[in-house]
Amino acid sequence: MLDLNFVSGIYVFLTYLAGAIFIIGVVLRIIIYAKTPMPVKIPLTPAPLTPMGAAGRVASEVLLFRSLYRANKPTWVAGYIFHISFLLLILLHFARHFVYHHPLPSWYQLFVSIGIVCGIFMFLSLFYLLFRRMIVDRVRIISILSDYLILIILMMIAVTGLSLNFFISAPALTKIDNKLDPFVTGIAVFHPINIPGNPYFIVHYSLILLLVAYIPFSKVMHFVGVFFSPTRYMTDNPQEERYYKPDAEDLSL
Amino acid sequence: MAKAKASYKVPVLTGEIKVPKVVPGASAYEKMYQGEKDDMAALGFPASLEEGWEIKAVGIFKQLLTHNKALRDYMDICVRCGACTDKCQFFLGTGDSNNMPVGRAELMRRVYRYYFTPAGSLFKGLADAEPFSMEMLKKWFTYYYQCSECRRCSYYCPYGIDTAVITMAAREIMNGIGLGQKYSTVIIHKVFNTGNNIGIPSAALRNTLDELEEEIKDATGKDIKIPMDAEGAEVLLIVPSADFFAMPHMESLIGYAKVFYKAGISFTVSSYASEAANFGMFIGSYRNTQEVNKRIWDEAKRLKVKRVIAGECGHAWRAMYSYSNTMNGPFDFLDSKYRQPTHICDFTLGLVKDGAIKMDPSANDDKIITYHDSCNVARGSRMGMMPEGQFIIPRELIKACANNFHELRNGTNKAETYCCGGGGGILTDEVMNVRIAGSMPKMQAIREAMDNKGVNFLALICAICKTQFTKMYPLYGLDAEMVGGIHQLVSSAIIL
Ligand code: SF4
Ligand code: SF4
Ligand code: SF4
Repeated sequence: MLDLNFVSGIYVFLTYLAGAIFIIGVVLRIIIYAKTPMPVKIPLTPAPLTPMGAAGRVASEVLLFRSLYRANKPTWVAGYIFHISFLLLILLHFARHFVYHHPLPSWYQLFVSIGIVCGIFMFLSLFYLLFRRMIVDRVRIISILSDYLILIILMMIAVTGLSLNFFISAPALTKIDNKLDPFVTGIAVFHPINIPGNPYFIVHYSLILLLVAYIPFSKVMHFVGVFFSPTRYMTDNPQEERYYKPDAEDLSL
Repeated sequence: MAKAKASYKVPVLTGEIKVPKVVPGASAYEKMYQGEKDDMAALGFPASLEEGWEIKAVGIFKQLLTHNKALRDYMDICVRCGACTDKCQFFLGTGDSNNMPVGRAELMRRVYRYYFTPAGSLFKGLADAEPFSMEMLKKWFTYYYQCSECRRCSYYCPYGIDTAVITMAAREIMNGIGLGQKYSTVIIHKVFNTGNNIGIPSAALRNTLDELEEEIKDATGKDIKIPMDAEGAEVLLIVPSADFFAMPHMESLIGYAKVFYKAGISFTVSSYASEAANFGMFIGSYRNTQEVNKRIWDEAKRLKVKRVIAGECGHAWRAMYSYSNTMNGPFDFLDSKYRQPTHICDFTLGLVKDGAIKMDPSANDDKIITYHDSCNVARGSRMGMMPEGQFIIPRELIKACANNFHELRNGTNKAETYCCGGGGGILTDEVMNVRIAGSMPKMQAIREAMDNKGVNFLALICAICKTQFTKMYPLYGLDAEMVGGIHQLVSSAIIL
């Protein structure tokens, strides 16, 4: 039988809920995008002539934000730093699971420092993006509440994450560290145990659950959509190879 | 009815393109005339707006979402990063935030979020969602007809969001509830009736061609023919109908005729398919685009030609190059040696390279030439076998028939070209101020080339661009004679 305290019970439930919303939301979206037909060829030319070339083009967008680079350099710098630091932080959090064993490896402190640096970069780049949204009149006028909301959630995640390293004592942090691994393992093997009870951690963790559950309903879904953008993934070969989708006929181009 | 010239707002040409201050609604006053009953019906749309249009509109919207991947994707994934905001010539010219590509798209997304997303129906404020009201429909009718579907925004968007797709879908939805645009619907109706946008019957067309043949004879002393409906010709030449009647378009038609004559390749134009332009594409209607395009291939079959060649026209080339094979292919009844269709510039340059025709570039020595990449050619199609052929081939052809050529400055040409301001079905006088505003960035780039390089001729390969620039030049205080097709240069340089 599960032996959970009240708070842990709630958080275990929320964790599974957020996870389910995220996975179902993302998978559904992939299915919808994948099976919606495109009536005609609309690659933005000049476009690659081969599927390999088109894959390279999509990769250049996903990995380097090539079009954004052409459009606006400061936004590209801030956007790129944010995405890289955020990605690294996600990877570091997963890696931590395999790194945090007793005795701690000699480079553990370095490992943590990298995370802290990423956290700072993440916060600063988000701050710039928020600042730009409020200051540049062209961007302010198109911004809607949810654009601010997502920036604020992300900034709060960064701040609370950093607070775990700066605002609580070393022994308290070690206590969280020691309890976190078993908790994560418990979630993963569907045999949950109590969550680390430190309030700083709980706030950080809650915000992450909120983010994860909110993603499928938000513009963050661009991480899926970018792979399904016909102007980018399509090859420029309408003459060489006939492109025809009977179920997409008779409507808008 | 055109407004008096005095009321036009013409920017001052300094050579610089400045990002304007944002003024929401700055160009709201310029609206299209609504489509008329006959024309709407002929295109398969309801004759006029009726009670209950909202429900119908949402129904069509839903259908489009399930049948158009680009629209489906682009409704969701915009992050409102603002990268596209200063890229549209209509925003740069008007300062209206609804003419920023994302501003334009958000007009549709607000409605999308209201009806099709949980966030929009539950948290309207947070998601900025709005029901499809009359007020919103008016905004659609205004701003989805202030977009030339040039795709410049897509070039800069991190996700490739193509506002032209959204504009086309909006027009399709509006047409589907009986709110059409007069200019495009009249033209498509004319194509169905007469084969061309201008509505010229075949006898009148033949007359004009006869006159043109005489003119060529007077000028060159050669019997250069422009055959019509000639069965068994090698090539079916499909040109925009403006090439038959408008200036400077006709100069290019003369150029094509000389090329065929000198190369000894038989060709014919058609009275049934006397139009390369395809306004079905402008209104985003698959069915109408297909119908207009079909005339070309039916005629190619009937006249038993070996190949189809397209004349100078921007969106027409995109429609023929990108959609033909999908909509009316495959073309196994034509000679598989050739790309079907082939662009006239590709064809002529090939003949020059083969030595089949010779040019005397000094014939154009009075001209210092620059070239405007038509957006639909630049960002919506290709010429020849290599990527970027649509940039390389016209330039090589210009250089083959003239000695003085200068590029417009970087950022205003090739894939980054600004539209002429008249594309996408907005080449009509009731929105003249929008056309003037939209032409501003390109005109500034041209002005700069005039000042710094002495440019005195703008070479084009698009009928709409030609009409638009011949209208714009005098408004900006420039001589309209400085505009013409590439085949006008060919026409002067070719050694007969
Ligand atoms: S560049 Fe693309 S993602 Fe950014 S605001 Fe414009 S359309 Fe949206
Ligand atoms: S397609 Fe061209 S005209 Fe339309 S919004 Fe984009 S940049 Fe502007
Ligand atoms: S008229 Fe010319 S520049 Fe303008 S939309 Fe067409 S091809 Fe583009």
